[in-house]
Amino acid sequence: MFLENLKLAFGNMFTNKMRTLLSLLGIVIGVGSVVTIMNLGESVKKSITDSMNIGGVDEVVVMPTGSNNIFSEEFAYSFSDNVIGIESVSTYVSTSATLRNGQETKSAQVYGVTSNYFDSSSTELLYGDYFTRESNLQREQVVVLGYDLAQDLFPGGGAVGSYVSIFRSQAKQYRVVGVLDDSSGSISGNTNNYAFIPFNTFDQRLKKVSAVSQYTIKVQEGFTATNVAEDVKSYLSTVASSNDFYVSSAQELVDMTESVTGYLTTFLAAIAAISLLVGGIGIMNIMLVTVVERTREIGIRKALGATPKTIKAQFLVEATVLSLFGGVIGILFGVLISYIVAYAVGWTLYFSIWAIVLSLGFSSAVGIFFGWYPAAKAAALDPIEALAYE
Amino acid sequence: MTQKPVIQLIDVRRYYLVGDYLVKALDGVSLSIPKGSFTAIMGPSGSGKSTMMNLIGCLDTPTSGYITIGGEMTNGMNETELAYLRNEKIGFVFQQFNLLGKINALENVMTPMTYAGIPHKERRERAEEMLEKVGLKDRMKHLPSELSGGQKQRVAIARALVNDPDILLADEPTGALDSKTGSEVMGLFQELHEEGRTIVFVTHDRKLGLQCPSQVMIKDGRIVEGDVFRES
Repeated sequence: MFLENLKLAFGNMFTNKMRTLLSLLGIVIGVGSVVTIMNLGESVKKSITDSMNIGGVDEVVVMPTGSNNIFSEEFAYSFSDNVIGIESVSTYVSTSATLRNGQETKSAQVYGVTSNYFDSSSTELLYGDYFTRESNLQREQVVVLGYDLAQDLFPGGGAVGSYVSIFRSQAKQYRVVGVLDDSSGSISGNTNNYAFIPFNTFDQRLKKVSAVSQYTIKVQEGFTATNVAEDVKSYLSTVASSNDFYVSSAQELVDMTESVTGYLTTFLAAIAAISLLVGGIGIMNIMLVTVVERTREIGIRKALGATPKTIKAQFLVEATVLSLFGGVIGILFGVLISYIVAYAVGWTLYFSIWAIVLSLGFSSAVGIFFGWYPAAKAAALDPIEALAYE
Repeated sequence: MTQKPVIQLIDVRRYYLVGDYLVKALDGVSLSIPKGSFTAIMGPSGSGKSTMMNLIGCLDTPTSGYITIGGEMTNGMNETELAYLRNEKIGFVFQQFNLLGKINALENVMTPMTYAGIPHKERRERAEEMLEKVGLKDRMKHLPSELSGGQKQRVAIARALVNDPDILLADEPTGALDSKTGSEVMGLFQELHEEGRTIVFVTHDRKLGLQCPSQVMIKDGRIVEGDVFRES
């Protein structure tokens, strides 16, 4: 019986092609926009997270926010002892200072960093070398200059091996050991105007450190930054008050972005789904017309022994097939538009399988919902009157 | 013939309210039609014969009185039960053929079996058999619009018979046909009668009605004369 109904539905759908197409327009547009929005949403989400993945999602950052003096350089070592999944912990402090080479003066941000800071950051050397762990322990007066800083202080080049003065309360001479490459395009931070000196040198000779500015924890392979961040948080809450620190990971940012774009996509898709409702009304309209047109057929079928339920099923199947057909056209339409938009904007297109599954489900639901009333009307027809209908 | 009646009407009334006016379409009709009979229900238009046909065909229910079809009392049946009864016990043949226009002859004949829940293969075999019997073996795949009036009526008869009903209920079956084709169709009914089918033949054509072995005359909602099976 169901197969017969399907066959009849397809037959009737194609008898009046233009009318079918017009009445399906609402569903087509509705499904088309839902699919387009969800596909593009997926693509935006992917392209955002892809660009974030370039800059350290395997990092967890801990920033002291209070005045708790537990957060010293030494404290960096306690992370690995208390939390698993940590590759290394680097830390830094920073202050603004003035740098001078001969006549050239420049104010810059001076960072006191441990030597492993460079391992976990995305900086790249242009000349020379980073300072070593030894330099830190020996409190050597060495400096790695950012690209612009080196350009400004040594316009003629030859920075590496030369000396610069760094002023705060008093001037001290630092030997330049390395110059960083231009990082103006980097997502993880522009270091062009920074100067890096060993942490202990900073503490001893530039400014007494009361608390570090930040710990950068590099996560071991096989561990996720989000989980490590959680573990770090619970460890820290055993030693300090929760107001004293802030823990974040790039992964968290990625997760947040994903959820924001997710919400946004859902919201837009929900608005687009309203047009599906309009489409449903189109289905109802055409089914009502169909029922009137086919009154005699309904009468004949009833005379032949079709029960009200059978008639209802026939018209419900017809409405659903109609609606699903509109849904399929809409999906093709949506995919096409997604392609065009993604191509025009230059995104890599990711397809949302969800959008397709949801659209098919939704359009069948629309067919059943809006086909119900016309089908019930057909089922309730009086056989004698229906047979007499001209 | 002391057969059990296949149709029995006991004091059946069917009234309609048209505006403020009560139309007594059938006003106390009792009738008993035995199995294997070929009965004409005759009367001028407006006599109530269509109402009677609708009641016998279980398309309508009486205002009062009792109707049994094939031994089943139809009083109190709901629409679904009446539909089953029509499907199982009654084969309709209409003046305007009433074939389903978008499906071919074979599928038209298969339709009542679909509603009876008969499997597809059997439906097909039985429909082919029945069309062959009415002489349309080479017309099975044709749409109704591709068939002549006589052929359409043969398809309709095949469709009416395919569920092996207790009653073949024909409403002016030759009314839309020319006289030659009409008498051919009439001949087919005669053959079916000889095979033992119970046929109720509704007509306003007295001459046609008199060709049937027995007649029931209706006028103004009552049976008036020649009712050989009338219960006293």
